[in-house]
This record gives sequence, structure tokens and C-alpha cells, in this order.
Amino acid sequence: MSITDYAMREAAPDVTYVRGESLTRRSLRRLLRRKLAVICLVVITVFYSVGILAPFIAPYTYTHQNLDLSFDGPSLHHPFGTDRNGRDMLSRTIFAARTTTIVTLATFATGFVLLPVTLGMIAGYRRGFADALINRTGEILASLPGLPMLVLVNATLRPRFEHLVARAEDIIHYHQLSSSGFADYFLIFGVLSLFGWVGGARLVRTQVLTLRGSEFILAAEASGASTRRILFQHILPNIMPLVIVGASSSLGAIALSEIGLTFLGVGIQPPHPSFGALITDGSARSVLENHPELLIVPATVVASLIFAFNLLGDALNDVFTSRAQ
Amino acid sequence: MSNKLTLGILGVVAAGIIALAVVLIVVVAGGGGDKKSATTGSDTPTASGTKTSGSGTTTKAASGELRLRGDDPLFLDPAVAQDAGSALYIVEIFSGLERLDKDLKIQPDVAESYDVSPDGKTYTFHLNKKATYQDGRPVSADDVKYSWERALNPDTGSVTAENFLGDIVGAKDVSRGRATTISGLKIIDDTTIAVTLDAPKPYFLYKLTYPTAFLVDKRQIESNPKRWTQKPNGTGPYKLKEWKLGERIVLEAYANSHRGPPKLNTVRYNLSGGSSLVAYEDGDIDVTGVGLDDLDRIQDPNDKLHAEYTTTPRQSIDYIGFNTNVPPFDDPKVRQAFAMAVDRKKIAEVVLKGAIPVANGILAPGVPGATADDKTKPYDPEAAKKLLAESKYAGKLPPITLAESGAGATVGPTEEAIIQFWKDNLGVEVKIQQAESATFFSDIDQGRYQMFHLGWIMDYPDPEDVLDVLFYSKSKQNNSRYSNPVVDQKLEAARIERDTEKRLALYRDVEKTLIDDAAWIPMFFDTTHALIKPYVKNFTFAPTIVERFHDVEVNR
Amino acid sequence: MDGLGGYVLRRLLFLPVTLLIVSFATFYITRWGPGDPVRVAAGAGFSDPEALERVRHKYGLDKPIIEQYGVWVRDVTLHGDFGPSYRYRDRTIGEVLGPKIWVSFRLGLYAFILTFLIGIPVGMFAAVKQGTWLDPFAIGSFLFFQSIPVLVTVPMMVLIFAAKLHWLPAGGFDGMFSKSMVIPTLTLTMPGVAGIARLARATMLGTLGEDFVRTARAKGLNEFTVIVHHVARNSLLPVMTTVVGLSLVGLIEGAFFTETLLGIPGVGKFIFDSVNGRDYNVILAVVLMLTAAFVIANLLVDIALVVIDPRIRGNRTGAA
Repeated sequence: MSITDYAMREAAPDVTYVRGESLTRRSLRRLLRRKLAVICLVVITVFYSVGILAPFIAPYTYTHQNLDLSFDGPSLHHPFGTDRNGRDMLSRTIFAARTTTIVTLATFATGFVLLPVTLGMIAGYRRGFADALINRTGEILASLPGLPMLVLVNATLRPRFEHLVARAEDIIHYHQLSSSGFADYFLIFGVLSLFGWVGGARLVRTQVLTLRGSEFILAAEASGASTRRILFQHILPNIMPLVIVGASSSLGAIALSEIGLTFLGVGIQPPHPSFGALITDGSARSVLENHPELLIVPATVVASLIFAFNLLGDALNDVFTSRAQ
Repeated sequence: MSNKLTLGILGVVAAGIIALAVVLIVVVAGGGGDKKSATTGSDTPTASGTKTSGSGTTTKAASGELRLRGDDPLFLDPAVAQDAGSALYIVEIFSGLERLDKDLKIQPDVAESYDVSPDGKTYTFHLNKKATYQDGRPVSADDVKYSWERALNPDTGSVTAENFLGDIVGAKDVSRGRATTISGLKIIDDTTIAVTLDAPKPYFLYKLTYPTAFLVDKRQIESNPKRWTQKPNGTGPYKLKEWKLGERIVLEAYANSHRGPPKLNTVRYNLSGGSSLVAYEDGDIDVTGVGLDDLDRIQDPNDKLHAEYTTTPRQSIDYIGFNTNVPPFDDPKVRQAFAMAVDRKKIAEVVLKGAIPVANGILAPGVPGATADDKTKPYDPEAAKKLLAESKYAGKLPPITLAESGAGATVGPTEEAIIQFWKDNLGVEVKIQQAESATFFSDIDQGRYQMFHLGWIMDYPDPEDVLDVLFYSKSKQNNSRYSNPVVDQKLEAARIERDTEKRLALYRDVEKTLIDDAAWIPMFFDTTHALIKPYVKNFTFAPTIVERFHDVEVNR
Repeated sequence: MDGLGGYVLRRLLFLPVTLLIVSFATFYITRWGPGDPVRVAAGAGFSDPEALERVRHKYGLDKPIIEQYGVWVRDVTLHGDFGPSYRYRDRTIGEVLGPKIWVSFRLGLYAFILTFLIGIPVGMFAAVKQGTWLDPFAIGSFLFFQSIPVLVTVPMMVLIFAAKLHWLPAGGFDGMFSKSMVIPTLTLTMPGVAGIARLARATMLGTLGEDFVRTARAKGLNEFTVIVHHVARNSLLPVMTTVVGLSLVGLIEGAFFTETLLGIPGVGKFIFDSVNGRDYNVILAVVLMLTAAFVIANLLVDIALVVIDPRIRGNRTGAA
């Protein structure tokens, strides 16, 4: 349950330098030959499809309540039963999947790909002051106690940010921004990204430093290619697979983080459903005793996703590391 | 081989999930009818908020020892402590001139008797000659003067002092740093002290029952100014024998108490642990609060715990407040529409499982002036819709947010039910904003919220403590920014009205005006649900925090 | 060893800088957010702004943040005084935090040891069985435990073992040798095993390929002796040292939820209460303490790795 899960910190050193597109493709092919990895990919794909298509597949909206059907056990209309407020558990689970989809993808893209690649490339290619600055900042961020900082930053930033969003709404005359839960999503993935980029950036930096001395980069430099061209055309394609492999092993931890933060009240706010909220509601003792489906359903769904992420991360690691070759 | 791998892993997953589910189902279903659900509250829980706390310690059970579950107090200085958690212990260790009994009647404490001057402005207290501090030193009039002056002194850092002692002539000069002695206090002899008020205020005695006005020991504080609160020397019936942060608090009877020796030898609080109901069932504690989730089971007459079940109404009210200065709630019609669109009864029955009563007004039962009839606006979606259509915001409501104090994912069901009623009946989408308490109070002070869900616990049983404090236009705690000259005028008159019946009538008028004007939506009153072991005698939950262990007996 | 000495020195010199930056950031963030300890303590009851302001003045909370920070730094460096706790006003920060940390430490100790006691054999087993279905099965089954949120397992275990069977207490902390340790130890241990097992497996696989192992096998030693005497000895220490630092912090954070759910008076839940109560100085002390602990733990790991790693130490391995 820890936010700085082993996987997150471990990701970097385990993946070693891989050269060339062909190897990536070869690794992928090897991955796809593993049945288990394919099953994981299927589980993840199904989960994300449900998340993205939530408004179209959910039989009810997540707020639709019927106080006459409070804690109504599984039935034809409500296959997973209803919660205290008589809301359809199936729909709430589907919409929780949407929340997890948004949070994991946004964090993955920002904190585990975009930020590490940009900062790592700058640090590795520019060297000098930029390198020192990024390195020191990373060192400090990495030595901070993650969870207390997440709670602290969330407690102090959230209200400021919400006021900001409210003001922005007034200016653009669009008032759905805050009710769409945008602020919550943004804060969670923003804060997770803030603390998450360090490992990836280090990995990228090392790769860039190694690649800089390699023949094909020297050749490109000799032929007068611009820095930008070298970075984006020669270096980036070479490090992307590594970054993605490293980051993918953190996806499970990101999904867990949402649950933890929501439990602590600094994550997704009601009435937006999330696995954190569903699990917290479902684990109250009387609910658990009389309606265990309210905990088992969301817990199984989210645990399957995280399990799939963890197994896939393991398999990717195996396939891409030199040791396995 | 690859097939084997896959099968192996899938086997683990399936086995794991099935095992968990089976264990759960077997244990739960196997328990049968008498073992149902439970989560818990601590020693004084409320039905509206389930707390997780519990026990683990099996302490040796002796007669004369009461074992409870509790939380760490923050700071045992009666002048400074503001949290209920600290007050629970303070009322046992310290005492003041007067006290409230379990029925919230004023009883003599350190002061044996008092006289009131004909103009109602001067109270002369005669101290009980048997009254001593727990180290044996007799209480004198000087101690009273010292305690109150210390409470008001800005260096003490008390936020409550001015509120509870500010009616005494000259008290505000001390709290603002303009004087060090209260000019309205006159020591007549060693055990007699006269107190002059700035106006004849009938609720003054009530204010003296609050910890801020309790007696502290000058010698102890001066010899150990920083840490005396860890081993305080008070005048209450119990001494603080041991306090191990996060683990336990042990109170020991003070045999020479002026109220006579307490019947218990010790009160032992366990400060850690999970579900306190489980600890109660395991016989580790003698009293436990019952949370919302366990009520079904406890209220079932067939349950073996049902015989030990007791309820006590609490003097507190849960409400939806409006900021009457900002759109759209500056229009009373909008407020009335919102009030009439919520079926509070249904929410109480379904979401809160009937654990607490729907509020029939602003004054909780037991508060002087409270009446039994329902004064609140009825649930009437049609009328509500009409009111909204007649309001000046008809068809052009700004976005609305309901703010709520709380942290953690479990706070929502009541609010979520409320906003759903507004959506269904008025077609208005209200957003919930949950803020942890620091943010919430800071924002509410600044009038940032349009609408907020909050509770008010009476400090003393007088309507002034809610109506004047929260609705007088110049009150600093007027969160709803409510301002009504008629209400103000009646509140001012009631403050100094010495005829009780006339005074209460004024407050009843104010209450009616506030409800008609929909300054609030009064939602629920509160009830304590608890289990008390049969061998514990005379243990009661008072409607507010008062001394309650003096007469308790435990004969195991 | 010169390079190592220089490296350690550089890291140690950077530590105060880290702490200074972290303390300023934390100081600023806590005070910048809405609310303050005085207002929170007042609650819904007494919010007379003037009275609150007088108390703020008493504690110097009405000064500009920079000035407050200056005072704080001065007190810490000159007197070792981390300032008062705004919630527990008659105690120093050490008195408030000490017992909580001690509880969390004892709570985490079992889990810490158990994680290794389970993780390393599992990893070794997986490495030895590489290529059979038992390898991924071993790691995979513990990855499964890593995938279930503690928020699910703790309530289920409490319901089953405390509320229904009455075998275990429903929470609390009665010392290291009581039944109250069972649920927290299990929930703190299980999620961490997979990570250590994976690392142990990788190191084992690396060692299995080394020359001296092949030599040992060639000498006709039985497989068990080879694994235990030659391989394990050379692969375990690096694993342990690498993960010690990470596990410590991981445990503190894992304890956050376990303590909250079980009502254990440890430092995890306390941090959260302190943030909510805006107990500035306590938050600051906790953050700084954990930061320093983490930096030093990592440094020790780095040193240990250099000292132990066979490749750096030369030919010692062959003699094993």
C-alpha cells in the first residue's frame, strides 16, 4: 500500500541499456508469446475500455439514488446490489474504473514519461548547471517521505487550487470544470507526478550520457545535425522503450495511491466514485457483514487490475533486461 | 511449459480470491442471526459520526475500577482547552464554583451558595469551607480571582475566556491587556467573593460551569509554568494518576473531595485500539458507544447485548447553513425552496438508519424554551419548486456548492442524499466540497462558502448559546451573516430579561423567525447510543460534557 | 577506498543543504495553506477573530512567514529547540513524537524481519527453479498479495479474527509480545515480499552463472550445498543492504494505513492528525527526521554495497 512502492524505486536499476528498434520489437514479440502477459494485457485493456466508455455502458449514473432501495442485495436490476443511498453498485464500479483510468494514464504520461524524458534529456545532454539543478532537485524530492508530503501538499494546495479553478470558471463562463472532478484528478496526478519523475529521469540521463559517446551519435554530430534533431531523432527513440517499461511497473502503485489518498480524504471527493471511496464505504463492519459484495466487487476489480500491472511489469522486466537474454 | 506457467498463476489468483471470499462468507453467514454487524464509537460517540477506536488490552478487572475507551486529550489546562476530547477529562480533574448535573441543572460545587443583588448584577459566592485542592490545600477566594484573571490574561492564550468571563465588569480590560486585575471582582473574606456583571445576565451561572471558569492552583502553575498540566492539581473528584500518551490515562479518586469521596477507586482509559464494540464484547471495557453501523444489531431485542443498550439525547444540532450575503441565498425564497425540497425524515430513516431524530426546530430538546411541536418547514417539493420560480434567481441560478468539514472518504452519504433531493425536486445540481477542518473554518470565517453543513453543540443549556451567538448580526460567530433588526432587538432584550417565561418567549419568537426566514435548514438532533455493562451503576451520558463519574459504582 | 570516502563526504556535506531546503519548503507550504493551528483548535465554537489573533500573537504566528522561519532556524541551530507543539501545548516535540515513533518502530520490526525471512527463500527458490512453472508461480503468488489494498485486507481480517472468532483483539497495541501484533504484522509484511523475492532471484541468477559456482558443481558437491554455501552467501548480503533503506521508508508509509485502521498510537496516524490540526512544528520535525533517516540509510546502503560487492572487492568470492 505504500505510495513509494518498491516497484517505483526499483524500476530504474533493473532495466538496462537496449540498443535499436529491432531489439524492442523482438522483446515485444517475446512478450506476446507469453500467455500470462497476454492475459494481463487483456485484463488491462478491458478495464481501460470500461473506464473510457463508462458513460455509455453504465446502466445508471453514479449519482442516481433511490432511498427506497438502500442496501438492496444483488438483483436483476442491480447485479452487484446497491449502497447505503440506494445507488447502483455496478454503475459506481464502472465509473470508479473511469477515475482510475484517468488518474493512472495522466500520472503515467506526465510523471513517468513526459517529465522524466524531458528532464533526463536536458540533464544528460546539457550537463553543467541544468544537470546539477535537476539532479539535486531530484535527490531532495527522492529523499522526502512520500506519503506525508502527499498529504501535506494536498491539504494546503487543494483549497488554493479550487479557488483558482472557481475563478477560472468565472472568466471562461464554463461552470462544469469543477463539477467534473477536474480539480481532484489534476491534484492527484499532479502531486504523484511531482514525486514520481525522479527515478525515470535518472535512467534517461544515464542513457543519454551513454548514447552521447556512441558512434552513431558522434556520426550524426559530425554530419552537422542540430541538437534538437539529435535528441528527438536519435536519442529519444532509443530510450523510449526503456522509459515505458520502467514506468509500466509503477502503474499498479499509482492505482493503489489513489485508493490510499482517497481514504485519507485528500483524493477524489464525493460524489465522484473511485475505488478508494467504494472500498472505504464497503469496509465498514456492518456493511461488510451484511453486504460483502459491496467490498468484494470493487476490491476484486481493482486488485485484478493491479495484479495484471504487477505481473506485466515483471514480464516486461524479464523480457527487456539483459539478464533474460 | 508456457501453458503450465499461465495455469499456475491463474491458479494462484483464483485460489486466493476464492479463499478470501469463502472465508468471509462462511464466517459471516455461519455467524447466524444473533451475530450481525458492528463498528463502533468511543466513550461518547454520536450516532452521526462513527469513530473507529477500540481496545486490545485485557486489564485485570477489579471492583471499583471503571474501564473505558478514550482518546488522548491535547492539553489539560481548563482555561485554554477548547476540544471536547480534553474537556472530558478536565471536568473530572477540575471544578468551578458551580457545576451542571446530569440533567443540566445548576448545582453548587466549590461555592456552597450564592446571593444575587436585587438589580441582578452582583453575585456573591460563599465558598465551601471543605473545598480543597487535590494536594490538600484549602480553596480561598484568592484562588478564584487568580484563576479567572489568569484565564483572561493574553499570555495564557485562551480563546474562550472572554466568551465565558467577559460579562464581569473589567474582564475585557484584562483580556485585552489593559489591566491585570478584574475590577468587578471583590474579595470579601477568605471564602467570600463578589462578582459584578456589566448587565443582569441570567445565564451567567451557566457560563461558570464551563472549564474556562474552573479553578487552578496558583502555586503549582508558578512553580512549574510549562508542565503543570501533566500532573494537574485541581479541585475535582478525580486526580490524574497516570497519562501515557497514546496508551492509557488513569484517574484516581480524590477521597477528600468536598462533594464526598467518589465511589470508584480508579477510572482507566485505554487510548488505543480498533473496534471498541469488540473490546466491550471481549470484556475489556465496561462502556462503549455504538456507531451507526451497529445499531441494527443492538436494537434487535433478541440480541444478547440489547439489555445493556441505552440512549441519551444530546444537546446539539446538525444543520445546513446559508451565507445570506451571497447569491443565490441572499433571497429568502431560494433558501425556503431548498429547505422544503429535502426529505429529512427519509434521510434519517434510510441513510442514518433512524439513529438520530429529525430536528423539529433550532433548540434541541432539553434546552429551555424548546417545544415539542414541529416548527420546521415541511417537505413539499411542489411548494419548493414554486418558491424557487418566484425568487429573483428563477431560471438563472449561479452554480452552488455545499461545503462540508471532514476528511476521509466516509463522510459523504448524508450530503449526497441531500444534494440528490435538490437535483430531483428543484433540478439544481449542487456540488459538494469537502474540506479538512483547517481549510473549512478558515474559509467559513471569510464567508467563502455559499452553503455549509455543520453541527453546533450547546456549551450550556440556554437558548442564548445558539440563537444569540450564531444569529445576532454583530456576533463574531455569525457564520451565515444573518442580519435582521427584529431578531437583533429581541435577542438584546432577552439577554437582560429577568422574567424567565418572558425571556424564553422572546427566544421562541426568534427561533420561529429564523426558521420561517430559512436562515438555516435544521437537519437533525443528536443521540448517544451506548452499551453499559450491568455491573456498572449510575453511569449516564449527559446531553453535554459534565462531571459524571462521582456517583458511578462498579461491583463486578 | 579514496573514491568512496570522497563520495561519502560529499553526500554528508550535502545533507544539511537538503535539510535546509526541505525545512524551508515544508515550513512555507504548511503555513501558506488555509487555516492555522489556533483557528483549527477553536473549531466551530469560538471563532472570535480578535481572541484568535491574540493567541496567534502569543505564539508569533502573526509575523511574516520568512521571519518565523528565521526564528525557527535560530532556535533549532542554537538551542536544538524545534519549537512548541501547537496541539499538545505542554510537551516538547520530542516528548510527543518519541513514544509514537517507538510504537511504530516495534510494530515495523517484525514485518521488516519477516519480509526478508520470506522474501529471500522465495527468491532463491524461484531462481533455482528457473525455467519451470514454479519460478513465476512463487513470485506471482506474492505479487498477488502486493495487489490487494491494505484497506481491504485489514477490515476483512478484523471482521473474521476479531469480531467473529474473537481470537485476536480488534486493534490497539499491547507491546511486541501480544496478539495485537498479528494483524498489523501480516498486513505490513505481505505486500513487501514480492519486491525482495524478485531482487533475491535476480541476484541469485547472477551468482549462479559465476565461475566459482560452476567450479563447485564440477567438484561434485551436491546441489543443496552449492546453493546454500556458495550461492546464497554471495547473493544475500547485497540484497539485504539494498533493500534495507527502501524497506524502512516503505514500512513507515505502510504503517500509515495499518495504524489508522487499527487505532494503533504510532507515528503514521499521528502525522495525518498533525497535518489536519496544522501542528506546524510537529509536521516539520517528522518530515525532517524521515528525510535525514532516508538519506543516511541510502548512504549506508551505498557504502555497504561497495564494501560487500564481490566485483569491487576482487577475488574474495572464489575462496568462499
